[in-house]
Amino acid sequence: MTTPLLVGILAGAILSGTSLLYAALGETIGERAGIVNLGLEGILLIGASVGFAVTAATGSAWWGLPAAAAAGAASNLLFGWLVVARRANQLASGLAMMFLGFGVSALVGARWVGAVIVGLPKWRPPLLGTLPWVKSSTLFHYDVLTWLALPVALLLWWVLFRTRWGLRVRAVGESPTATYAAGIDPSALQYQALAAGGALGGVAGAHLSLSLTLTWAEYMTAGRGFIAIALVIFSKWDPLRAVAGALLFGGAEALQLQLQARGVEISPFLLEMSPYVLTLVVLLAWGGSRRLAAPASLGRTFQGVQ
Amino acid sequence: MRKTLGFVAAALTVVLGLGGRAVAAEKPRLVIGAVYVGSVNDYGYNRSFHDALAQVARDLPGVKVLEAENVPESAEAERVMEGMIRQGATLLFPTSFGHQEPAFNVAKRHPKVFFEHAGGWMRGPNFGVYFGSTQTAWYPMGVAAGKMTRTKKLGFVIGMPIGFALGNVNAFQMGARSVNPEATTIVVVTGGWSDKAKEAAAANALLDQGVDVVAMHVDSPATIIQTVEARGGMSIGFQSVEANVLAPKGWITGLGFTWAPFFEDVAKDVMAGQFAPGATYRGLGKMVAVAPFGSSVPEDVRREVTAAVDKVKDGFNPFTGPVTDNEGKVQIPAGQSWGGDKMGNFSWYVEGVVGRVK
Repeated sequence: MTTPLLVGILAGAILSGTSLLYAALGETIGERAGIVNLGLEGILLIGASVGFAVTAATGSAWWGLPAAAAAGAASNLLFGWLVVARRANQLASGLAMMFLGFGVSALVGARWVGAVIVGLPKWRPPLLGTLPWVKSSTLFHYDVLTWLALPVALLLWWVLFRTRWGLRVRAVGESPTATYAAGIDPSALQYQALAAGGALGGVAGAHLSLSLTLTWAEYMTAGRGFIAIALVIFSKWDPLRAVAGALLFGGAEALQLQLQARGVEISPFLLEMSPYVLTLVVLLAWGGSRRLAAPASLGRTFQGVQ
Repeated sequence: MRKTLGFVAAALTVVLGLGGRAVAAEKPRLVIGAVYVGSVNDYGYNRSFHDALAQVARDLPGVKVLEAENVPESAEAERVMEGMIRQGATLLFPTSFGHQEPAFNVAKRHPKVFFEHAGGWMRGPNFGVYFGSTQTAWYPMGVAAGKMTRTKKLGFVIGMPIGFALGNVNAFQMGARSVNPEATTIVVVTGGWSDKAKEAAAANALLDQGVDVVAMHVDSPATIIQTVEARGGMSIGFQSVEANVLAPKGWITGLGFTWAPFFEDVAKDVMAGQFAPGATYRGLGKMVAVAPFGSSVPEDVRREVTAAVDKVKDGFNPFTGPVTDNEGKVQIPAGQSWGGDKMGNFSWYVEGVVGRVK
C-alpha cells in the first residue's frame, strides 16, 4: 500500500511543480523581452481567483481556465502600459502590481469563498495505472494542465529560439535600440510577450485553485510567484531548464511533507525552509555566470532613440 | 434631510408589508458587532461565528447583528469596531486571535461597550475571553477513526505545532488507540494555517503512506477533505459541522463550534445590565459540537462514537496520568491530570503519534 519515498516525492514534485512551471515560463517570456515583473505573485492570485469565480459561477472549469488566462494577460498588459508606455520603473511597478493583485483577487474571490466546484477533470492512461506504485499514488493521474506542462515548455523553447518572433523578442531583451534601428517596434513586441506571459501566469494560478486545492483563499499562492521568479534565474531564461527547475523546487516542497509523513525525525521548521534554502543556494551558485545568461537590457527602460 | 429619508424609509416599510418588523427596526434593544478575519463562507472557523450570531438574532427579539468580514489583524480592525460602535453596537465579538490587541485598544476608549474575544488572553473590566475546549472532544473523533480505518494508519494535518493543536492530535490518537490498539497517527505540519497547496500536498503525502483516515487542524478543512475524497480516503473535519457536503463518500464525522448558547447568555446579561466579562471555556456539548455522521459509517461505529461523546460530556478526561509521550517519557504522572487550563501547554506527542514537535 505504501508508496516508496522517491515515487512520492516525484508525484508531489509534479503536482506542486506544475503551477511553478507555468508561472516561470510566463515570466521567462517577459524577461526575454527585457521586462522583469516582480508582481508575478499578484498575477498568480488574480488567475486563481478569477478562474475560481468563473468556474463557480458557470459550473465549468472550462470557462474558468480561459478566464484566468485572460485575466492574467490583462494584468500583465496593465503592467506593460506602466513600464513600456509610461516608462515607469519596472521593479517598483512590479511590486505595486503585486499589491494590486492581492486586493483585486481578494475582491473577486470574496463572494466565492467556500463555493464547491468541480475542478479540471483528471485522467490517467489505463496502461500506466497498472504499473506498480502508480495506482496508489497520484502519479500520472493529472489534469490537462499537468499533462500539457512539458509540451508547453517545449513549444515555448521552440518559439523563443527557432522562430522569427522569438528572435525579435530576444533581440528586444538584449538591445531595444538595435531592434528599433532594424525597423522593429520594441514596445509592440514587449506588449505581445507580456500578454502571453501574463496568460501563462494566470493559468499557473488557475492550476492551484481549479485543480490542486479546489478552493479559493486569500493569498493562497503563499510565495510561489517569487519562487517562480527565482526559478527563471535558475533556469537561465531557458524554458527547458525551467522544467528541471520546477521539478526541483516542487520536489523540495514535496520532500518536507513526504519526510514528515514517513515519520523521519527532522524538525518541521528545518524542513519548511528547504525550498527557500534551495533558492538561495541556486542563486549563489549561478551568481557568477549570471551576466552571461540574463538578457542584457533586462529591467532597463527603453527611452527611445534620438 | 435625514428626517425626510427616515420618513421615506418608514413609509416604504409599511408599503412593503414589513410592518411586523418595524417594531424591531424602531430601536434595537441590543446591537452586536462581529469582526471576522476571513469570509463567512469558509466551511470553517468564521462560518461558525456567523451561524451562531444568526441564531442569536433569531432567538432573541430586538437584537441586531452587524458583521464585518475579511478584517485584517491590524489597526484597520480598530477602525471597523469604532464604526460599529458609532452604529450603536454595545457588545462586540472580535473573533480572530490577532484582533485581540486592536479590540483591547477600542475597549479602553469605550468603557461602556462590552467585548468578548475568542481564544486570547487579555482581560479587562469590559473585556472577556472564551473558547471551545476542543482537545477532549477529539477523543471520540479518534474512536471514530480507529473504528473506520482499515490500514491502522491515521493522518493529521496541522498548520503550526502550537500546544492546542498538539492537544487535539494527542486526544485523537488516544481515542483511536482505545478501540484499535495498533492504530498510529502520522502528523504533517504545513507551516501555515491557510497554505492550501501545501495542505493538498500534505494530504497526498499521508495517503501515499497508506493512511486512510485524515483529520486536520487548519483554518478551512475544504482542500484537505476534497483531496482525500478524490483519492478514496476518509476524513474527519474540523471548525464547522457543515463540511460533510465536500465528501459525500469519505466523510466520517467532525467537530465544529457552537457558540450560540454562550452568545445568547452574554447578550441577555448585557441587555439586563448585569454582564461581567470573564474567561469562559466550554467543551463538547456546549461550545463544541459533533457533526453528522457520513453515510458510510456503520451503525455500531456510530453507537460507539456517541458513547465516547457522552463519556467526555460526563467529564471523562483522556489526559489523566500516566500519559507517556512518543519518546517513552512519562509526561503526565499517575494520579495527575491536565485540565482545560493546560491545553495550550502541550509540547509533546502522545505514544503512538508519528511526528516530532521541535
